[in-house]
Amino acid sequence: MVHSHSSQAGADGLSDADRQLLRDSTRDFLASRWPSASAMERVGDAAAVTALWRDMAAQGLSALGADPAEGGLREIMLVFEELGRAACPAPLLGAVIANMALAGAGKAAEPLQQDLRMGKAIVAASLGAFDGDAGAGKVACRDGKIDGMVAFVEGSLGATQHLVFTESPAGVALVDAGAAAVSIRETPGLAVPSLAEITFAQATAVSIPVAAGRLRDIALMARVACAARALGAAQRAFELAVEHAKVRKQFGEFIGSFQAVQHKLANCLISLEGTQLVLRNVGESHDKGSEDWRVFAAAALAFAGPALREVSVQTHRALGAIGYAEEHEAPRHFRRVHADLARFGGAPRSRAELADYLLGPLA
Amino acid sequence: MALLPALDTDPKINAFRAEVRAWIAKHWTPERRAEHRKLPFKLRGWDPQFSREMGKDGWIGIGWPREYGGQARSPSEQIAFVEEMANAGCPVQAHNTGESIVAQALIGHGSPEQQAEWLTAIRGGERSFALGYSEPDAGSDLAGLRTKAVQDGDHWVVNGQKLWSTGGDKSEYVWLAVRTDGEVKKHAGISVLMVNLRSPGITIRPSMAMYGRTFSAVFYDNVRVPACNMVGKVNGGWKVITDALAAERVMIGGSRMAGLQRAFDHLTEHVKTATAGGKALRSDPLVRDRIGALAADLEVARQLLIRNTTMVEQGRVPLYEAAVSKVFTSELQERMGQASLDILGTGGLLSEDAASAPLGEMEQLLRHSIMGMIGGGTNEIQRNVIALRSLGMPR
Repeated sequence: MVHSHSSQAGADGLSDADRQLLRDSTRDFLASRWPSASAMERVGDAAAVTALWRDMAAQGLSALGADPAEGGLREIMLVFEELGRAACPAPLLGAVIANMALAGAGKAAEPLQQDLRMGKAIVAASLGAFDGDAGAGKVACRDGKIDGMVAFVEGSLGATQHLVFTESPAGVALVDAGAAAVSIRETPGLAVPSLAEITFAQATAVSIPVAAGRLRDIALMARVACAARALGAAQRAFELAVEHAKVRKQFGEFIGSFQAVQHKLANCLISLEGTQLVLRNVGESHDKGSEDWRVFAAAALAFAGPALREVSVQTHRALGAIGYAEEHEAPRHFRRVHADLARFGGAPRSRAELADYLLGPLA
Repeated sequence: MALLPALDTDPKINAFRAEVRAWIAKHWTPERRAEHRKLPFKLRGWDPQFSREMGKDGWIGIGWPREYGGQARSPSEQIAFVEEMANAGCPVQAHNTGESIVAQALIGHGSPEQQAEWLTAIRGGERSFALGYSEPDAGSDLAGLRTKAVQDGDHWVVNGQKLWSTGGDKSEYVWLAVRTDGEVKKHAGISVLMVNLRSPGITIRPSMAMYGRTFSAVFYDNVRVPACNMVGKVNGGWKVITDALAAERVMIGGSRMAGLQRAFDHLTEHVKTATAGGKALRSDPLVRDRIGALAADLEVARQLLIRNTTMVEQGRVPLYEAAVSKVFTSELQERMGQASLDILGTGGLLSEDAASAPLGEMEQLLRHSIMGMIGGGTNEIQRNVIALRSLGMPR
């Protein structure tokens, strides 16, 4: 982690200059450790992901979320954006959720916290009843055992630990990935790497109480982090399309000189910059302690959903058939954008949250 | 108020807002507002008497430098001011164009004599302006304008025709772009004149624009204009016109945003209390979904505006950024108007002149959105600007 060295940082955490350093160093790191040329073939390689995670831990990235002074929501979003750009499946979502949920949990959480810091642990987190998707499933936790099924779980590849949000009692349940009575089934689809279904049948669990309000906030931060990852992916795909438009010739002209292409790309830029600005405001509001960050998060997620999905489609249309091959970089970004923005109830849920705020909740 | 939370603003700006509100409370009283509301829509918003009162108390030109009689207010303060005026429905159009476009150009390019006379008059709310830019064959391609001015002693003689001039039938002066050299490249032969609209040889034909106010065709037939009314150098008009644009776009964005927030506030307040077919409108999931989507879009529009304001404050020129904001916000106005029709049903078609209208201002908002997407450079031209200036697309 980049430690604050600037006098401007103070209570707000890192300074803008620190964040730029963090962005640059993360981008350089991912470019060397997860280059786009080999990203496609390594996406399902558990050993490669595990090795990458150790190196990320050495960079301090696996501790994100543990201590707000070392990195708040802004830093989390920034690193997720870079993961999106690099189409990198590093298991950061589980780590961030675990770090936030376990902060201040005392002795029971210490071994996992330490393993996370060292990059030894890979956490596959499920939000269960706090997920927001009707099909996400949930678990019941009683007397050190959990039962139930959770779906749409990311990061199960190479996971050493499962972390599941529980409703009553409010908290998280920790289960060793190798434990008996845990079965994992990959569920292939648009998301790459695949999401998974995890079934627990009287699996041994360590239960750690966390207030329900805190769990809801962590779940919202996970949604925001995923939107930032989608933004990074959409931004990178857009850059590919812009470069393509400057070099690809048809009818004897660069296609970027055609207004049909120019206006398409201008629309993408408007959506990307709009998303970037509203997301930035979410991070700032949160890290500065404003209660309003939750409303701003709902607004950012409600906008980002349809806007970035459209950017993703339009960049493909600018790239034409060249970008349609799965070995091209663009399809990974298309998959990432759609997978991240459809999770946790997606934009419809965020629009409903805004309506709750403006019109009052439904009885 | 049913709006998203206010952004954490500077206490200095909040104090300034309070000062502005106090002035408005004293001068734009409920009685006066009610009087103004009785006027037909096309006459509202334009009140030379109110402009003079604002001028008297120093509220015109608050962003100008102090040496020109301004208050050197920051762009954020100017936006706050524009919002407060819009929220109170103050009629500011009689001095608006002079204050934000003509004065900007005079400060940058006017002679000391012009500045002394014209800035003083504009600041006092004593001189109103219309814009004379577009022509039958020069819309998006403004530099293709053909209205001609020929020097004759200490006058220029103007011949030609201008179109779509907002306020052309009410203003005293027109800020007129003319061709003074037809032999050079088109941008290099343009000059700017300030022309008294009561001059002999001028014919003004107002027509009704769809948003409910007039715009005019103005014909110039051997109109004599004193040479001292030319701003900037002969043939140097293109720079005079474009220099004033960037900062002015940000202010226009501020007032459009204030209008949208106000309309959305009214829409959500309506939805909170109204019923449709015996059911509370607010319990309709489709209505809730539309309101949520609009709220998110408004938040984006707000952040885009803040970015522009911040850039101007830092002394940077938001070239493509102003275009981004203009495109997004004007098209959001259209979406909001369309969504209102879906939410209000056929009642949404009714104007405020219909006693039973559920929310009469929304159909006007929809009609007005077309102007936002065309005026000040069409959104298609703005997209060209974004593609060329920000993305570096080949021409």
